[in-house]
Amino acid sequence: MYHKTGCEGFQCEDQTLGADLAGVRDEQTVVDRLVAWLRQRSLFVLAYGTGCGAIEIRPLMTSRYDAERFGIIGAATPRQADVLVISGYLAIKTLKRVIRSYEQMQEPKYVIALGSCTINGGMYWDSYNTVKQVDHYLPVDLFVNGCMPRPEALIEGFVALQKRIADGEKGGWLRYRENLDWYKANQRRVLGANMLPDDTSAWLQVGGQA
Amino acid sequence: MRALIDVPLMLLVTYTMGFFMYGFYRQFMARIQNRRGPPIWQNLYDNLKFFSKSETLSHGPMFFLGPMIMMAGAVTTVLFIPMLKDTAWLQGFSASGNLILVMFLMVVGPLGNALAVGASGNPFGVMGVTRGLTRLMGLEVPFFLGLALIMVQYETVSISAIMAAQPTLAEWTLVTNPLIFLVVLLPFIASLNASPFDVVGAPVEVYSGPRVEFGGRLLGILMTQNMMLSMAKYVLVVALFMGGASNLLELFVKVFVLFMLTASISAVFPRLRTEQAVDFFWRIPLGLGVVAVILTLWI
Amino acid sequence: MRLFLRVLSLMVVVTPAVTWFAWDGALVWPLFGGATLSFDVTPLASFFLLLLAMGAPLAALPMLRKEEPDWQLALFALLVLGMQGLLLAQDLVGFFIGWEIMTWSSWLLIVRSPRTDAGTAASYILFNLSAAFLLLAGLLGVYSLTGSFAIQALVDLTLAQGLVLVLLFGAAFLIKIGTLPLHLWIPRSYDQAPEPVTVVLSALVSKMGVYGLLLMLILFPEMPGRWFGDWLNGPLSGYGLAWIGVITSIVATFKAIAQDDMKRLLAYSSIGQLGYVTTAIGVGGALGISGALYHALVHTLVSLLLFISFAGIIAQTGQRRFNDLGELIYRMPISFFGVLIGIIALAGMPPLPGFASKFLIFVALIEAQWILLFAAVILSSAAAFLYCYKLIYAPFLGQANSPEARVAREAPWPYLIPQIILMGMLVGLGMFPGMGTALADPVLAALGLAPLDGPSLGTLATPYGGYDGVTLMLVFGIAFALVTALFYMLRGQLRRAGSRQDLSFAGEVPTPDQPLHYGAGMGRELRRIPLIGWILARSSSGFFSGLAERVERLAEHSSRLYPSQPWRWVQSFVVVFAVLLTWGLVRGGGL
Repeated sequence: MYHKTGCEGFQCEDQTLGADLAGVRDEQTVVDRLVAWLRQRSLFVLAYGTGCGAIEIRPLMTSRYDAERFGIIGAATPRQADVLVISGYLAIKTLKRVIRSYEQMQEPKYVIALGSCTINGGMYWDSYNTVKQVDHYLPVDLFVNGCMPRPEALIEGFVALQKRIADGEKGGWLRYRENLDWYKANQRRVLGANMLPDDTSAWLQVGGQA
Repeated sequence: MRALIDVPLMLLVTYTMGFFMYGFYRQFMARIQNRRGPPIWQNLYDNLKFFSKSETLSHGPMFFLGPMIMMAGAVTTVLFIPMLKDTAWLQGFSASGNLILVMFLMVVGPLGNALAVGASGNPFGVMGVTRGLTRLMGLEVPFFLGLALIMVQYETVSISAIMAAQPTLAEWTLVTNPLIFLVVLLPFIASLNASPFDVVGAPVEVYSGPRVEFGGRLLGILMTQNMMLSMAKYVLVVALFMGGASNLLELFVKVFVLFMLTASISAVFPRLRTEQAVDFFWRIPLGLGVVAVILTLWI
Repeated sequence: MRLFLRVLSLMVVVTPAVTWFAWDGALVWPLFGGATLSFDVTPLASFFLLLLAMGAPLAALPMLRKEEPDWQLALFALLVLGMQGLLLAQDLVGFFIGWEIMTWSSWLLIVRSPRTDAGTAASYILFNLSAAFLLLAGLLGVYSLTGSFAIQALVDLTLAQGLVLVLLFGAAFLIKIGTLPLHLWIPRSYDQAPEPVTVVLSALVSKMGVYGLLLMLILFPEMPGRWFGDWLNGPLSGYGLAWIGVITSIVATFKAIAQDDMKRLLAYSSIGQLGYVTTAIGVGGALGISGALYHALVHTLVSLLLFISFAGIIAQTGQRRFNDLGELIYRMPISFFGVLIGIIALAGMPPLPGFASKFLIFVALIEAQWILLFAAVILSSAAAFLYCYKLIYAPFLGQANSPEARVAREAPWPYLIPQIILMGMLVGLGMFPGMGTALADPVLAALGLAPLDGPSLGTLATPYGGYDGVTLMLVFGIAFALVTALFYMLRGQLRRAGSRQDLSFAGEVPTPDQPLHYGAGMGRELRRIPLIGWILARSSSGFFSGLAERVERLAEHSSRLYPSQPWRWVQSFVVVFAVLLTWGLVRGGGL
């Protein structure tokens, strides 16, 4: 089902950060560029506080680190959100909810995964009920490593994401569309009978256009 | 012919004032909380970002039409409030309306929204709408009591006539009858859905209430109408209490002063529960209103 | 035979319309001796005859269905005749006869329903008969004072005479309107009557009480002005009535919010709406009376529309509780629009005519400077938004909450045709709010008040300012069309949710059998507000049982005067008789 091609997950960081987007930029019209700039300037965050990472979101949003100056502000429901922050290890039980929330977000949408646990399982690497690589189940745009990463690191991650959005990079949601079968197969493998219904993702298969 | 210029101009003015004021509000709150805060344009960016979202989810025809009704209600409200006095410009259709009509027009939009929220089938949204209607029931009593006192004082229900009756500072309602302003101020803040009466759309308590299912461009519409309707309410209160304005700059300054006042109140008080808010309105502002009635009419 | 009965009944039902269009000249019918019954169309009667002429045929349509029994339509025709006689009567005898026909035929309509229990039937006839007896006492009083039964201005009454007559007539009509605490019979009978009958009771029969109250202005022309003088700018004699009306509407509105049965909610809302009318009559003056007439007109149209729509829902689903419906918008779209228009008019939102009538009442209160009353009217008006939302949300929106609601079909045509006509009438009246005042103006002239001549039918004009319905409707419509068009010009895709369970639900996936409908929960938290909790914890049946208890206790006390020995009883009788006799002799008047 799954064949490893090239890099995977966190290994791709160098590649994605170093990718030459000059070609993409040339294809953009003025409106596209304006839209891309607006999108990066206003990011509504759905912070999914799955693990210890949730504790890092508070200082990030409040006076000490003040993410609002970058236009980053919390959203209450997935419908309003642009960025899903998965802050820490994902138990299999939580994975279902995270996938549901992600699919309910409106495109364009981005995922930031926080901490070592989302990259390779971290200290839960041999746990029976924790997923190791979040990248297998959801298209992560950006990993912020550390255990836990400090708010400064998170801000750096956000700024990197903003730069990529401004450059016109499409983001993981397109990858999710194109490889939906692969993602769904991976999800089904860990969720089994507990798999979530496809009412939020079926429209992607019938070829919804962005 | 004048309407062709007037209408877009009035909408533009309210929209511009809306994002500037709310941008400023976020700055102001940030400074109070000892942080830098977003740029003053942030609300414009947010709004345009939502308009440029490539996916928008709808729960059926009524869900889609609700925000449209809400926007149309906001536009109509803006156009029925005269912005300036002593001039033929920026009057909109205010000659065909009056104060009571405008107050009821402000409810038409929320009705559309309530229908859309109901059509989505999300219980959190309906919970929020019910809270909103409950709060409306609480705030309208003292609010209208104050407005009725103004209408009795000037013996008219026309906003333009009330504005024209306050040419100088000494004749502002704020000066001639400050008690009415005190009666109206807190319900006014609540009608703007501002803290401390913002339990309706509380993100944590009711999962952002009526907005729970709206995303993408529909949310953009809701943000736009919220900014425009809020500014329409400020313009109305400026017209009723602060003598209106003769030019746009004066209008902007007066709205800004009023905005600072309400923002300062919003910034320091914690959120009230729905029933606390209603009970509060029926005790303090309504009690003040009864005192005002006794003082101005009975004695 | 059956067809003949139906055709005959139907012909009777359209007679009010014929009378309204074709009546000319008075009709005098000699009764016995010198007494006559005379009939004519006065301006006031003409206004209410118009309501009857519009309402009766529309209300008859659902009764024409095969499922409805024959006696219903026949009794309804009798009811219409009674109301028509009541309106046309020029003397109190004819009025009383019409009133009695109305009372008994409506009671028969209610009592023959299988859902009606004995208590409801008893309370209906008890209250309505007491209204009739009060009326009888009043008309005999009028006869003893003037020697005539004619409905005419009674001048030169002493204050005591006037007060007694006003109280007798007023109580009779307030029972019919259902003013607190005399409303006890309304929620039960509206709820248990057959659905097409409830339409008639709320839309037409209750208006006869309003007609009676306005008739009192003709009978007692000195009441507003001379008696007691003014309070601020309005008549003091109306101030009490206005407060009675407002308190009725506030309490009825809160009670309505707390109901979980559709028809009971509508019954309480009907009581509340007529409370506004009572208030407006209390304020009096050109604005007040015109507001009362306008609101009576709007309430007739709205309650016809809402009760017929809900009759359709009940007929199609068999469910009458808010909690058992939901999501009917896709299955009953025309009924949805009917209820939508109905609640917008009921809530008094512009641009529909509910706003026009409320506007007149507001302006009348401002003119009278009765600001506390104004605030109280606003309270009930704003609280009405809550039950209006419940009316549209619980049956039509949200999630289907019973098997019947999942498979329901659109209501049959006898329900839909009146709905469509009524929607058209309401929208038309909203666009041309001057039509209502134009209808009310002759009545104002007949009452000796200055008419509110509007410059055009599209404008509602008052001395304090007005508004233009056509402009309002056009601005709103164009804004709506432009906004929708602009929305489609934005880039991107609009897609329909994959299922009804695709909800933001904190990441959770709700299942179809999870109760997501908020129908019954709505308004439950209102009880936590002290004032509302206090009101809802009480009921007027409590008032009446308290009254009964007090009367019993009083009887117990007075029975001490009658101890078990009969001779003591005789003794006290003799003593009282002797005292009275002495008193009469001392006054020197003889016996």
